Amino acid sequence: MLKINQLVKKYGDNLVLNGVSGEVKDGQVIVVIGPSGGGKSTLLRCLNRLEDPTSGQILFEGTDLMTLSEKQLDQIRTKMGMVFQNFNLFPNLTVLENLTLAPQKVKKESLDQTIAKAKVLLARVGLANKADAYSEQLSGGQKQRIAIARALAMSPDVLLFDEPTSALDPEMVGEVLKVMQDLAQEGMTMVIVTHEMGFARKVADEVWFMADSQIVEKGTPEAIFDHPQEPRTKQFLAQVLAQ
Amino acid sequence: MKIKKLLILVGIPCMLLTMYFINHQQSVLAAGQTVSQVQAKKTLILGTSPDYAPYEFLVNKKGKNQVVGMDIQVAQKLAHDLGVKLVVKSMDFDALLVGLETGKVDMVISAMSPTDERRKSVDFSDVYYLGGQSILINQTDTRDYHSKNSFIGKKIGVQTGSLQQALTKKQIKGAQITGLAKVPDLVLALKSHKIDGIVAEEPVATAYASNDPELVQIDGKFDLGTDMQGSAIAFPKDSPTLVAAANKSIDQIKKQKLIPQYLKNAGQLMKINTHNTSMWHYWAYFAKGIGYTLFITIVSIAIGILIGGLLAFGRLAKNKVVRGLALVYIEFVRGTPLMIQIMFVYFGIGLWVNIPALVAGVIAVSLNSAAYVAEIIRSGLNAIDAGQTEASRSLGLSQRDTMRYIVLPQALKNIWPALGNEFISLIKESSIVSIIGVTDLIYQLKVVQSATYKGVAPIFVAMVIYFIMTFSLSKLLNYVERKMQHA
Repeated sequence: MLKINQLVKKYGDNLVLNGVSGEVKDGQVIVVIGPSGGGKSTLLRCLNRLEDPTSGQILFEGTDLMTLSEKQLDQIRTKMGMVFQNFNLFPNLTVLENLTLAPQKVKKESLDQTIAKAKVLLARVGLANKADAYSEQLSGGQKQRIAIARALAMSPDVLLFDEPTSALDPEMVGEVLKVMQDLAQEGMTMVIVTHEMGFARKVADEVWFMADSQIVEKGTPEAIFDHPQEPRTKQFLAQVLAQ
Repeated sequence: MKIKKLLILVGIPCMLLTMYFINHQQSVLAAGQTVSQVQAKKTLILGTSPDYAPYEFLVNKKGKNQVVGMDIQVAQKLAHDLGVKLVVKSMDFDALLVGLETGKVDMVISAMSPTDERRKSVDFSDVYYLGGQSILINQTDTRDYHSKNSFIGKKIGVQTGSLQQALTKKQIKGAQITGLAKVPDLVLALKSHKIDGIVAEEPVATAYASNDPELVQIDGKFDLGTDMQGSAIAFPKDSPTLVAAANKSIDQIKKQKLIPQYLKNAGQLMKINTHNTSMWHYWAYFAKGIGYTLFITIVSIAIGILIGGLLAFGRLAKNKVVRGLALVYIEFVRGTPLMIQIMFVYFGIGLWVNIPALVAGVIAVSLNSAAYVAEIIRSGLNAIDAGQTEASRSLGLSQRDTMRYIVLPQALKNIWPALGNEFISLIKESSIVSIIGVTDLIYQLKVVQSATYKGVAPIFVAMVIYFIMTFSLSKLLNYVERKMQHA
């Protein structure tokens, strides 16, 4: 479904992605782990071209995203949902409107249709009673669950998660991970950047360990967590698991 | 490097513009008017500053302002003799000659003396009236002042740039001279004892003294030799046929002794004004002023937001040229006084297209406001977290829809108080259009001042009216702001 080939991203002289390649298959859950500054978020943000890669190839369902116009890109993005660290709910809209805006404006779905779908999604993330609330009235965990529902409202083929629990108070991490775990079980294709190692081990089909602008090691959770091959991976896991 | 670029970007257009105007100016000045040109358009446009009774002043006839006075009758006689219709245009005294040079008016009659300096830029007719020079003093001071010689070492007021200023400087040694633009302002200064006397033309002094019991007129006993130039009609440079026609009419005025008759008529008209000097009597004047002030403000806000919005997007555009142009416009407009912009639009643009004063005022105020609104909008857009745009774009919303549904509504809420501030200051700052003769509240205030010979009361009324307007707007803006705070 999603293939990256030799992706390079430079900010000036600073090399953030140094020839990254990988493949996400249909229904797969990829969890990207690694130290801060290793390029995880940049990789994720390149996948839907919020960030413009300097060179390389991103193939989504056979289309090379690097060759697309703005307009074509907007169409592709409807199929790639994204969930951000800081939720980025639209504070000027109600929760319901956050969910219905894009389906209405981009997919030209009718209002009734989008509202009905939004209500189903809100119920699914356990927040059916918050439809008329504004984001400032919600807790962090609630905001992130709404943000996931907003991404789902576009019926995407893949969901990208950029450290979805990093900005949350510890007691709210669980509710968000639960929603994500449910999605994984339903077969949603997901790429997740996270520091939650326990969660990674539980839901990942494949774990990518990224450090120093490269993917150092790829493998099943067992392979990465229990039998890491690379010294950089071992060092990182030792540090993280010691905490 | 950036600063250098900016300097080049701003500097070169400015230099070109300046050079263009320096070159262009001479050719404009060279274009005189002829009698046949005036007769062909069937109108003779008179420029005057109607704050100088009995020469020229305003009366309220059937609810309409009308400029009347001795000078207007002279102008009517000339128009009659040429067989054309007289049109009167009011402007500040300082703006009159510019108006003549830029073709806004065909002639200026405003108790103006043909000084050598003025002769450099315009043509003058013969002198049509030569009055004595009087001094106005407070009624309580009659024992101390008898003639110009009583004012040695005293404070004396004159109109800025007037003949009286030169006369006083020369003939009252050691007097402290205070120059103000308008006679009503000088009278205010006199009554509040900021100055001890005012040197003015005899008919003007008579008008004030006979209408205000607190003021007394004394003979200045000036040495009126070669310094005394009287009043003449000004025409554009190189208009010999018009000057000749005017001189012929003036000759008749002198032979038929029409001036005393004109002054008598003017005196009677002045009584219409001073018959009832309560501010209520002049409500229609203030109402008209409020109307124009509100009109200018509202139209300027609307245009200002529209152009300001475009400029703000221009500032944030990807295209370097668009960004540069928007930046230059904003910096230039913010870096020059509104007054100069208004004069530039009215007189400068007027060289090519003849636009009425009101339109010129609205254009200048709108374009000025646009620059400030642009910066407010830009800062509002910049303050919206980049995550909002990213979230919106990640859902497939286009840049345009993102702006429209996500960024703009949030920015508007944030910048509303700053925009409101701009609107409130626009109500007050628009008052500067009065210098080109737009009858806004400030202009009307001066009209009422000169019509009633009351200085402070009209100022007070105008002040209260301004406050009511700004306060109401402020309340309205607060109401909208609360509405936007949904939660």
